[in-house]
Amino acid sequence: MANGHSGGHMTIDHHYSAPLPAHTGVITNLRRQIQTIERGGGTVTACHDVISLGAPEIDAALPWNGLPASGLHEVFGDTAALGFCAVLLARLSQAKSGAPILWCHRGDALCGQGLQDFGIDPDRIIQVRGKNDTDILWAMEEGLQTPGLAAVIGALHKIPPIAGRRLQLAAEDHGVAGILLRSTRYGGFQANTSAALTRWRVTSAPSIPLGVPLGITPAFGIGPGINWGAPQWHLELQRCRLSAAQNKRDGLDFCRPQDWQVEWCDETGDLSVVDAFCDRPAEPLSFPRAAL
Amino acid sequence: MTHFATDRLSLSLSPGQRSNPLVTVTAVHGGQRIAAANPAAQAAGIAPGISLADARALFPALKIRQTTPDADIKALDKLSEASERYTPWTALDPLGGFLGGGFLGGNSGGLWLDITGCAHLYGGEDALLRDLLKRLETAGYSARAGLADTPGAAWALARFGSNSINIAPPKNHKDQLASLPMAGLRLDGATVEGLANMGLRRIGDLYAMPRGPLASRFGGQALRRLDQATGALEEPISPRRPPPVFTARRTFAEPISRAEDITAALETLLDGLCTDLEDNSQGVRQMTLTAYRVDNSFARIPIGASRPVRAPDHLMRLFRDKLTDIDPGFGIEVMVLAALETNPLTARQMGAQQIETGDGTIQKSTENAARLVDRLTGRLGPDHVTRLKPVASHLPERASRETPAINTTKSDNGWTAPQNQPERRQSRPIQLLSQPLPIEVMAPVPDGPPVMFRWRRRQHKVQRAEGPERIAPEWWRTEGRPLTREARDYYRLEDQDGQRFWIYREGLYRPDKPPGWYLHGFFA
Repeated sequence: MANGHSGGHMTIDHHYSAPLPAHTGVITNLRRQIQTIERGGGTVTACHDVISLGAPEIDAALPWNGLPASGLHEVFGDTAALGFCAVLLARLSQAKSGAPILWCHRGDALCGQGLQDFGIDPDRIIQVRGKNDTDILWAMEEGLQTPGLAAVIGALHKIPPIAGRRLQLAAEDHGVAGILLRSTRYGGFQANTSAALTRWRVTSAPSIPLGVPLGITPAFGIGPGINWGAPQWHLELQRCRLSAAQNKRDGLDFCRPQDWQVEWCDETGDLSVVDAFCDRPAEPLSFPRAAL
Repeated sequence: MTHFATDRLSLSLSPGQRSNPLVTVTAVHGGQRIAAANPAAQAAGIAPGISLADARALFPALKIRQTTPDADIKALDKLSEASERYTPWTALDPLGGFLGGGFLGGNSGGLWLDITGCAHLYGGEDALLRDLLKRLETAGYSARAGLADTPGAAWALARFGSNSINIAPPKNHKDQLASLPMAGLRLDGATVEGLANMGLRRIGDLYAMPRGPLASRFGGQALRRLDQATGALEEPISPRRPPPVFTARRTFAEPISRAEDITAALETLLDGLCTDLEDNSQGVRQMTLTAYRVDNSFARIPIGASRPVRAPDHLMRLFRDKLTDIDPGFGIEVMVLAALETNPLTARQMGAQQIETGDGTIQKSTENAARLVDRLTGRLGPDHVTRLKPVASHLPERASRETPAINTTKSDNGWTAPQNQPERRQSRPIQLLSQPLPIEVMAPVPDGPPVMFRWRRRQHKVQRAEGPERIAPEWWRTEGRPLTREARDYYRLEDQDGQRFWIYREGLYRPDKPPGWYLHGFFA
């Protein structure tokens, strides 16, 4: 159609088609601005505080090459999820040279010694007991607006979408990590969409027993105990927020849900991915009943 | 207050009934006697001290109440709190002892106010006292006021002065006292009578008397009271509440009631107080804002901080959540901001906030955290914002205690890494049940680890087990509920799904009585 018109248009066409590649930088910039406005991947990719989970496979699966220390993360699951959160909290606190952690929940007691085993200094925990979800959300938001904190963790039942978004914004603005712990022990949760950067589901998995039975001392012993090994979890990365456009452009595949069988090493505090079939007995060991 | 007890009782009566004779009675030596009589009763000839039967004979339709000293003191306390609008230094003058002296008897309640340096706020001492009496009258109490250099002289002037407001000019109280009756010296009835028998009826009569014979005859009390009244002897009176060292107050020309005005006034007060604090290198830990309303009532908001602060913006934030609790009513006249507890706080260099490395960051992060704790505590209460504190106990439920975070300034509570565990780490669960749950367990007798257990209507087959770890009862604890009487054998169990539990058996196996099994926690 342009050809049918005067030559002037032709030259204009030509004029505009040539420098386009040179302007891709501008377009990228604009795109980044839009992302920043949308609070999408823009600010997150710019985030420099990233903690490693200790397992290169998992780190590599995350677009930030680790878990961003300023943002909201959602963890579903039972006690294993609590353990996973504890691993994250210990790493977040270490990354901020032992900054305090705000722990908001409603009921069950925290066990200081148990947390210590996970590398969390109980002195660093400020515990908030809310009467309801509103209190917890308020406390979490206050905590996320406090740059001196390493992380804020909240055990919640329901999260209104707007509240989740507010938490995410506060976490991003002030560089504090937020963890939403959503326990599934007492009944499942409908995982509605939330503004969190990542969503994990953690379930317990049978551990690999240590070879030598150490558990029952001969003084009490009637039979050899079967020692449990390092805790094993089935870790699922269900959602990971990153703009689809960026994903497509870079030819990456981050948004695909992934799962790993991980083992937590209590000496180093690292997670490591376990090959599902390595070192695994053909059938689960049963408890010897010779002594019965 | 001349008829405090009866005035207080009259408050519940309709205005028409208040003019009827009303007395309070108390049991003395097995008989009912009048403790206090209101003006109408006194006009009918009923004086405190006569028996109830005599009073009934004088006026049959007498209204009679029992004395309630506790309630009287409480009401007086409330009034003294309300009069803190004039001065932070107020004290109660206990009700005059029943039958103690010939003077106003059990019906007079008194308040001490030290208005040193406060009078100019009301345009002079006279104006202040008039304002005070007017307020008391509105509240339903008839009162008299005395003002002098010494508490003793003020006491006498208030009770025996010729007017309802008696002010002795500075250094002139001795002359004013001279003409007052001896009872004004706060002496007991017998002493007053004895002095009267000697012809000494006025306080002034004592001035010229030789002190030796007086002391030998009436004891040191008479002279001490005299000296206290004349100022020869200091008389310390403890204030009701220790007066705060730092206060800021604002009196409004017009009563305010809008939330914005209250906030603005509070900001000014905070600015002033914080400047004061800074000049003295102090930081505030406890603070109250008191708003006095037009109708003599007041509202008080306390705030607390976990460490000394004097940043107006932070304090304002702590107040902001609670300002809505103030109901302005008919309007607020006076606002007083008082720092109740202060600690030294040295000036901090402003540039410290920019230090990114080393100590600066830690300092800043603890400071931020402290402020967060203040805000959280302000809204949720000190019991809901806690820190974990280790307790030297082997019983898991006792091993840590939650202490209010606002009181825990020290962040290092002494959690030490568990070194006494011979085994690997992870000897304690990550989540501990506050109350161990009884569960059904199948275990080999006498003391094998469980093979199977039921919890929450689900069967868990034990795949791995560790233990037992025996925790003996703390027999040396006698106070409180004995948590456990028998030793516990703890097992760490993993079921077929990999879930991990902490389960214990209480006591040893006995053929006649199977031991109880409890679930106490979860491992990750």
